[in-house]
Amino acid sequence: MISSDDYAIAAEDLGVRYNLRFTRKSTVRGSFASLLARRKPERFWALRHVSVQVQHGESLAVIGPNGAGKSTFLQVLAGIMRPTEGTVDIRGQVSGLLGLGVGFDADLSGAENILLGGAFLGLDGPRIRELLPEIINFADLGQFIDAPLKTYSSGMRARLGFSIATAVDPDILLLDEVLATGDASFRAKSKARVIGLVRSAKAVVLVTHDMEWVREYCNRAMLIDKGKVIKEGSPDEVTKLHLARMQEAAARRTEELTAKGLDPVMLPKKGDRRMKRQAGTSDPPSASP
Amino acid sequence: MSQGPAAVSLRHAADGDSPLALLRQGISDILSRRRLVRYLVQADMKKRGSDTFLGNLWWVLDPLLQMAVYVILVSVIRSRSAPDFPLFILAALLPWKWYQSVVNDATSAVVSKDKLIRQIAFPKLVLPVSAASAGVVGFLWGMVPLGLLMLFFLDRIQPIMLVWIPIIAAVQFVFTMGSAILVSAANVFFRDLGKAIGHGLRLWWFLSPGLYSLQDVRATALVQDYPIIGTLVGFNPFAVLFEAYRGVIYGGADGVSPPHPPDVVSLLFLLAGSVALLAIAVVLFKRVEPEFAKVL
Repeated sequence: MISSDDYAIAAEDLGVRYNLRFTRKSTVRGSFASLLARRKPERFWALRHVSVQVQHGESLAVIGPNGAGKSTFLQVLAGIMRPTEGTVDIRGQVSGLLGLGVGFDADLSGAENILLGGAFLGLDGPRIRELLPEIINFADLGQFIDAPLKTYSSGMRARLGFSIATAVDPDILLLDEVLATGDASFRAKSKARVIGLVRSAKAVVLVTHDMEWVREYCNRAMLIDKGKVIKEGSPDEVTKLHLARMQEAAARRTEELTAKGLDPVMLPKKGDRRMKRQAGTSDPPSASP
Repeated sequence: MSQGPAAVSLRHAADGDSPLALLRQGISDILSRRRLVRYLVQADMKKRGSDTFLGNLWWVLDPLLQMAVYVILVSVIRSRSAPDFPLFILAALLPWKWYQSVVNDATSAVVSKDKLIRQIAFPKLVLPVSAASAGVVGFLWGMVPLGLLMLFFLDRIQPIMLVWIPIIAAVQFVFTMGSAILVSAANVFFRDLGKAIGHGLRLWWFLSPGLYSLQDVRATALVQDYPIIGTLVGFNPFAVLFEAYRGVIYGGADGVSPPHPPDVVSLLFLLAGSVALLAIAVVLFKRVEPEFAKVL
């Protein structure tokens, strides 16, 4: 099935299933209760049947609405999460900046966090010390580099995180919503660095809501929704489809609400347990093509 | 993580690895991240020292103050205690504080790093292992108050017997490490463990011969009537450890006989049990590790 041998990433029929029985802050009592009730464990697929290849030198944008499975996809590529089904083949060293405010220890200084971060990423001692001046230089935090991380603003944390993640000169770089951080000058600098990495035949996979960036700097885009690939292709086509779908969804919601006689501006409360259950059951595992 | 440009890694879907393979993975996780464990221990030490006024002095004060509480509790309120009671207690209190602090730290070791776990891939086993390693540093600090107290009871001490302390501590280290790994993983799935463990530990301390000797327990009417209880009490790992520590530091439980070497057979049994516990803990930890990023 794999057509080209020169890929950096090959995902085959990737699926990640969450078991809602063990989501946040489960307690022994809760587990006993569900055991007694003999409920089947509630499961839902955050990703399913995702197959994609990324070649060296390519920059793939992953777009989609909130909760579509974009971050889960990056977590699988980064090795943070093991797929429930399918395989991922990664060729090369992966480095990623997944999520904002990456910090390793809030009580340690920025410089100490670089050393600790390098150890977490699995770099050996001499290599980190060799990279240290460059990381400090790129993060450009001035005297704050010796201040504890807890005194940093979120923008400063993101700058430090970006500098660490990209300094290791990875073969594959994963970025999750991090392009829009920092002030204008750092944003320009980080854009330049990502473009540089793409040019030097490194593969980049990024999750973003910045469609302009996708059209301008990515050579491919993938739209996912409810864990499934909707469309994969040129950034222009895919972003167009995404925007159209977003508008459609917004229009449908307004319609539904007005039909119920509700004011469309008053949106229902999100995030309660009932909503979560619905998400689990309305997404049957048997949704194979 | 794979290193170098030519590195190739293939991640399959969750396939059942054999326990032996998981154990091997766990060992290589730790060996390959020795430096990370060292950094985490150093960071831990730095934090403990930095946010209090007296800083590292607390390492010394803490056991001494707690010992004072028990001395008052037992000798004044109950008005009967072994001779040279402070030394009697501290010989058991120091190893207990080591175990207690490690297990407490281990409950939050994985859970508190939830953000990091969802952001980068690293062997999670380093978290409980560094918590257990940091405990060793605390125990070493505990030797300072012990040394100070010994100065008051010089006639009791037999320096050659103190050589046993690191040997007994090594057995305890294996047991502590196994407990830390188990607890850190279990707390990810059952958050009430963090609450239960404080009470469980306190109960365990009072059920262990820390404030009293194993001989005292065996002399009680209950054990006279039901000898099985006396046997069960002896199976408590901390009965073995406390008796061993106290034997080499303080001496016989009668309060008169001089320090003596520990019961090597029970120590060896405990070591075997602890190694088994550690192996089981590593296998279970590695088995549930891939779920951490989903559950946290």
